[in-house]
Amino acid sequence: MSSRSELEEIPSENELEEKTENLHVSLKNIKAMEGVIGYILRNSKSASVDIKDPSKIIDYAILSSTVLDSGQCMTDAFELGRVNNIVLEGGNIKVLSLTIGDNRISVFMNKKVDHNAIFKDLRLK
Amino acid sequence: MSKDLYATALQSTLTEIQKICPDIKYSFIFTEDGTIITEDGEADPLMEETVHSFQRLAEKAVAIGGLDALSIDGDHGKLRVSRVNNLYLVVKASPHADTTYLYSVTNVIVPTVLKLLEKISPTPLKLMPSQQLVVDTLTGFFAGDNVQIDENHLKEWSQHLDGEDVDEVEIETVDGKKTRVGVKEISDKKRQGKGLILIPEKACRELEAKKGELVKVKPITS
Repeated sequence: MSSRSELEEIPSENELEEKTENLHVSLKNIKAMEGVIGYILRNSKSASVDIKDPSKIIDYAILSSTVLDSGQCMTDAFELGRVNNIVLEGGNIKVLSLTIGDNRISVFMNKKVDHNAIFKDLRLK
Repeated sequence: MSKDLYATALQSTLTEIQKICPDIKYSFIFTEDGTIITEDGEADPLMEETVHSFQRLAEKAVAIGGLDALSIDGDHGKLRVSRVNNLYLVVKASPHADTTYLYSVTNVIVPTVLKLLEKISPTPLKLMPSQQLVVDTLTGFFAGDNVQIDENHLKEWSQHLDGEDVDEVEIETVDGKKTRVGVKEISDKKRQGKGLILIPEKACRELEAKKGELVKVKPITS
């Protein structure tokens, strides 16, 4: 029996680039939403960071990477399967982290923002 | 109320919550300093791994004003770690669980139980911290039967015990072998302050602990 990953078609390089470009457009729109502080998008070829307060870029980049890595550790330990999203809530800010294909994304926002709407928006791309 | 009873009360609360919410597959509580609260004082490797990952994350979460909660939504289940007063509650739920309902139940019941416990016993929850120390062997004619550890660990434990001295510890190896043995402070100044536990050769053989290995050490309280 073929596994799910074997049944999925491997996207071409152009398709991957197109997907990343779509994500860029989506993230720019999301960044314009009220309460969204910024985002970090990383893949094997590039990284783009758009955070309102530039002094926070390094701290947020480290946090983004740690969320995805620690989240993966816990996911493996608890056998949660494929991760749809990880949400980290701080004192006044929360982070939505997810992986789409090769792209590792973190969106930083105020706690009142509906992260589920942002997640759905990104998953559709 | 003793600290053990405090832990038992919290553990029983989680068990009861699990009964009314069958979507909860696994749960436990740990303190801000990483101490895992269990009825028997024994933490399973999954608990330890979770606390370790969470603490790593908490260090970096200073950038967003600390860490209140973490949620992971996976195809096969959901995990949430949330702050309840000065404790963290870990809940694993089935993939289609109504998390809003589950988390509202846990985040109402657990704080209520905590409040009740504080009323019954105003002593705050302070569990005895265990230490991870590196094994070194104690040899020679005057080695004796006691193990030796740094004085600061003994003092820290003593503070937790309201000044009571710690004369005996439990040592647990990575393979799960345990022994209870008398304890003293390290007499050799060259080996002080290095996070070592000096174990007499005979006890080392019994534990099958080798020099340089990490062991967990916790005080035995009367």
